[in-house]
Amino acid sequence: MKIIVSIADMKVTKNAEDTLITYSLGSCIGVVIYDPFAGVGGLLHFMLPDSKIDPQKAQKNPWMFADTGIPSLFKEAYKLGAEKERLEVRVMGGSQIMDGSGFFNIGKKNYMALRRIFRTNGVLIRAEDVGGSGNRTVTLEVSSGKVLVKSSGDEVREL
Amino acid sequence: MSLVDKILRKVAQLPPFPVVVQRALQLVANPNSSAQDVVDVIQFDQSITADVLRLCNSAYFSLQRKVNSLREALVLIGFNQLFEIILSRQSSHLFSGPSTGYDLQRGELWRHSVASSLLSGIITKRLGRQPSPVLFTAALLHDIGKVVLSEFVKDYFEEIKKLVQEKSVSFSDAEKEVLGIDHAELGGRITEEWKFPKVIVSSVRYHHAPFSTSDPDETVRLTHLCDVVAMLSGIGGGSDGLFYHSPEEILNHYRLNEEDIERFMIQLEDQFGQVKELLNVT
Repeated sequence: MKIIVSIADMKVTKNAEDTLITYSLGSCIGVVIYDPFAGVGGLLHFMLPDSKIDPQKAQKNPWMFADTGIPSLFKEAYKLGAEKERLEVRVMGGSQIMDGSGFFNIGKKNYMALRRIFRTNGVLIRAEDVGGSGNRTVTLEVSSGKVLVKSSGDEVREL
Repeated sequence: MSLVDKILRKVAQLPPFPVVVQRALQLVANPNSSAQDVVDVIQFDQSITADVLRLCNSAYFSLQRKVNSLREALVLIGFNQLFEIILSRQSSHLFSGPSTGYDLQRGELWRHSVASSLLSGIITKRLGRQPSPVLFTAALLHDIGKVVLSEFVKDYFEEIKKLVQEKSVSFSDAEKEVLGIDHAELGGRITEEWKFPKVIVSSVRYHHAPFSTSDPDETVRLTHLCDVVAMLSGIGGGSDGLFYHSPEEILNHYRLNEEDIERFMIQLEDQFGQVKELLNVT
């Protein structure tokens, strides 16, 4: 089944027939985790770096922020039998308006926040496609663990 | 016939903008007219009236009593909301098709339009200004040029993409270079054709170059800001991505900082969820 992950949303599954997909990552970031041994996959589409800006919102929807969304993604995957050592982690998105003048650089802040959280928790990134000004659509095929990325006007490619 | 002429000829094939709403817009932009004047114009259109009344009586508003006329609706939900509903409902069909040149599925361009229009309310509130139906309209319709330009962007996509990716030209500048006209200028021509108030025409025309017009009206700058925040959030984002410029002055101009932008995105996500059903957004 095709499962759509919206903006500020997260889904995990261990059903081999599922495909997780998130559309149009602008400055948002998509994090895909996959445990090939347990056949567990997860996709998080977070929007902003830090929940401190609106803790109430984070309580209602943790997936809006990197610092609340990323732990939630991993925990939900562990519940389905995934193990940290086996997880393949891929990161996509974090685009910016062209000027990169330091304004509107939410994409970059999102990526920095993610790196910080991963460093603290000893999580390694297997592959990433971040930055630039393109919109990205990301798909995870749970049966194979294949992650496909389509960036603005480009062909689909495997990451 | 030149390519630009071919593109401009397509403008004539757009469905006409409802005349009653056109007239209402002119009144809205005129400081001497009242909310009542606008309602007086609209109430002669039975299908618009019926649509508004049906919505006012729906669960979304959960009003205490049944609304039987536009005048009652005006009193109960207020002019701004009444106007926003009418304009949105009457515009959605223009944007609802797929825009393949921009790699947008059916409904995606409408999602982007609605997101921008919601941001107009969010941003004016933060700036301590009165809600502006004129800004709402400009924000909702700013990408109307894409509806027409899409098929041409599709035909010349490789050339446009090359300029954007290899020469770091913005998407709209690349449109202009390859096609002879970009979607913002084309949107300006379309809204002119529809006899929209001048300020809306400039706001659509300069939504990617907000400081290059001498029009002192803030609506132009604010329309740009609404579009940029909607693009950042990714709602209805297409093949043009974030390949646009946004002048640094825009934030200084309004004394906004990055955190404000983040808060706009949070509020947008909230409000977008609420209006989905009301505005045929999927």
